[in-house]
Amino acid sequence: MAETLPRTRAALAAWDGRDLPPEAAFAALADELAAALEERRIGDVSQRLNFEQPGMRALLLRTARAAPRLAAPYAQTLPALDARWSEAETWKLIRRAGGPTTSLYLLRAVDMTRTPDGEIRAVAPDQAVFVTLFLRTLWVSLIVTVACVVLGWPVAAAIAALRPPWSSAALLLVLVPFWSSVMVRSTAWFALLQREGPINDALLLLGLADAPLQLVGTRFAVLLATIHVLLPVAILPMVGVMTRLDRRHLQAAASLGASPWLAFRRVWLPLSLPGVAAGGAMTFLLAVGFYITPALVGGERDQLVAWFIAQFLNRDVNWGMSAALSVYLLAMAGAVIALLRVLTGGVTPAGVRA
Amino acid sequence: MIRVLTLLAALAVATPALAQRELTVVAGGGQLQDHMRRTLFETFTRATGVPVRDSSYDYNVGPIRAMVQARNVTWDVVLVEAPDLIRGCEDGIFERIDWSVVNRAKFLGGGAETCGAGAIGWGVSVFRDLNRNPTGPSNWQEFWDTQRFPGRRTLRRGARMTLEIALMGDGVPAAEVYRVLATPAGQQRAFAALDRIRPSLHFWTGGQQPLELVNAGEVAFAVGFVGRTANAIRGGARLDLNWDTLLFSYDYWAVVRGSPNAANGMRLIEHMTNPAPLRALTELWPINPVTAEVANDPAVRARNPLMMSNHQDRGLRIDTEFWLDQGPDLEQRFAAWLNR
Repeated sequence: MAETLPRTRAALAAWDGRDLPPEAAFAALADELAAALEERRIGDVSQRLNFEQPGMRALLLRTARAAPRLAAPYAQTLPALDARWSEAETWKLIRRAGGPTTSLYLLRAVDMTRTPDGEIRAVAPDQAVFVTLFLRTLWVSLIVTVACVVLGWPVAAAIAALRPPWSSAALLLVLVPFWSSVMVRSTAWFALLQREGPINDALLLLGLADAPLQLVGTRFAVLLATIHVLLPVAILPMVGVMTRLDRRHLQAAASLGASPWLAFRRVWLPLSLPGVAAGGAMTFLLAVGFYITPALVGGERDQLVAWFIAQFLNRDVNWGMSAALSVYLLAMAGAVIALLRVLTGGVTPAGVRA
Repeated sequence: MIRVLTLLAALAVATPALAQRELTVVAGGGQLQDHMRRTLFETFTRATGVPVRDSSYDYNVGPIRAMVQARNVTWDVVLVEAPDLIRGCEDGIFERIDWSVVNRAKFLGGGAETCGAGAIGWGVSVFRDLNRNPTGPSNWQEFWDTQRFPGRRTLRRGARMTLEIALMGDGVPAAEVYRVLATPAGQQRAFAALDRIRPSLHFWTGGQQPLELVNAGEVAFAVGFVGRTANAIRGGARLDLNWDTLLFSYDYWAVVRGSPNAANGMRLIEHMTNPAPLRALTELWPINPVTAEVANDPAVRARNPLMMSNHQDRGLRIDTEFWLDQGPDLEQRFAAWLNR
């Protein structure tokens, strides 16, 4: 932007923002837009402004194509070409977008925007999407993490309690799904959950449902499939910690008169906490970035932030938006992990070596 | 460490060889590309002696932009969608087509763009499983009539195509769609129409999903890519493909800017859009040629009754310029609507 319209920017810097900018700004704009079109670098500025104000791309391209035919005074010929050039808002937009940095994407990623006068306000309700998306991502990730830890803990404890040949076999049962593709596992859930799939067939057969349930495209399906996909990630660190725990601690507890339940609660559970923290942290970090599974088995209200990041990055080529969303996602993940460290009272994932 | 350094040194030595790499053409992959290799790429090598390597991508143009900006262009000729082509042309991501090498006169209307030569047409339309639903909507207004034709419907997740369809479902004639959709009132009308049948709507993201959803009985009626539906029908599926609900556009061949093989890339594009190799391709795969002579060839049309070229006059051509201007705003509003 700054490179495409340097003289326009310079001319606008002197403008007081009332009425219309001086003729120099009009002339510089016509000249620089025509040059940018000819040298094929008008895309940067037109996409950037169009993102902020729909229709700006068409206006800039139209002006750039017509500019070689226009003559001074441009302050009259440009508004004659398109009335938007006689609106101070259009010029304020260009002036504001001219800087080397912008808060536009960071604001838009939390459903905020700036008015032409620079005031920050919420976007129109029919445009707001990202705050809901972040809250949903956080909520889904937390549920998935808690479920994975709660379901994974007994599995990990069972594997850790087994003797060598059997423990490896049990571990293999966890590793095989871990090694198979996320795509395959998510697609399998689609097949299981569909209207004529085995789960609905079984429900009908057992008389638990009168008509096939709509399972695909629901939040339930997203949670179920995501928990299944991430369960090994939660189990493996817990197994790692639990196999290295010294079982003589339990014997010591028993010899001091603790009931099995008390020994479990006061000795075994606290000792396994580093594994729980590590497994939970890994699960959470992967869950916040999930998008294949929600896209396959989820509905419209189940998409997470990562899907939008990929969309902006690959399809819309709006790298500003994907970067802004990524920053917030990273901050959110970092905040939760930090909170987890505080809550587990210094029992950090690094404590795995205990 | 030493091993890593040796590896790096080997890479450094190998890099200059990459500069003289073979002409590389990149398309959408799959079976179609296997057929393209035999009929388009290999015949070019036979005719000119220039070897061609082909690779595939998922139509995501982000990587192409990255390679142009990094000045490390490893693809030469790419098959791209219309909006990506026009934007990429404005941004200097694609070379301008050299019309002294490529014959501009041979394309259908809209097939010759500044930076792209029309390659194949694609479209979406309504289809249903005839076994499950012997009758179904025959136009967009009936598609919107959930009383007469109950059942869930699936559309592509995204504003493009969906908003046009919503307006037509609300009774706007095809010729008026983009004029109406350009006004705030028209946009509101499109979203209101979507609201009306929202409980019956499902949205897909991948091109194979409409077929899966219809096959699994998840939805009664689907809007899906006509090429995939036609292939399923040829494969024996009992599907009804409705051509009166066709929305279509073209994909284009383009040369990546800064390609060291740009000159040969232009020659390859001229070859790939020539009638003889294209006709050979239509014998293997029912593509929709943008080269007029092949698209209008009665023999080609008769051989492929499910080819889009046979039905294009009944369809609505997606307005690329409209979506470049209004897309960012409407897509975000659509995303917000979906989440509401």
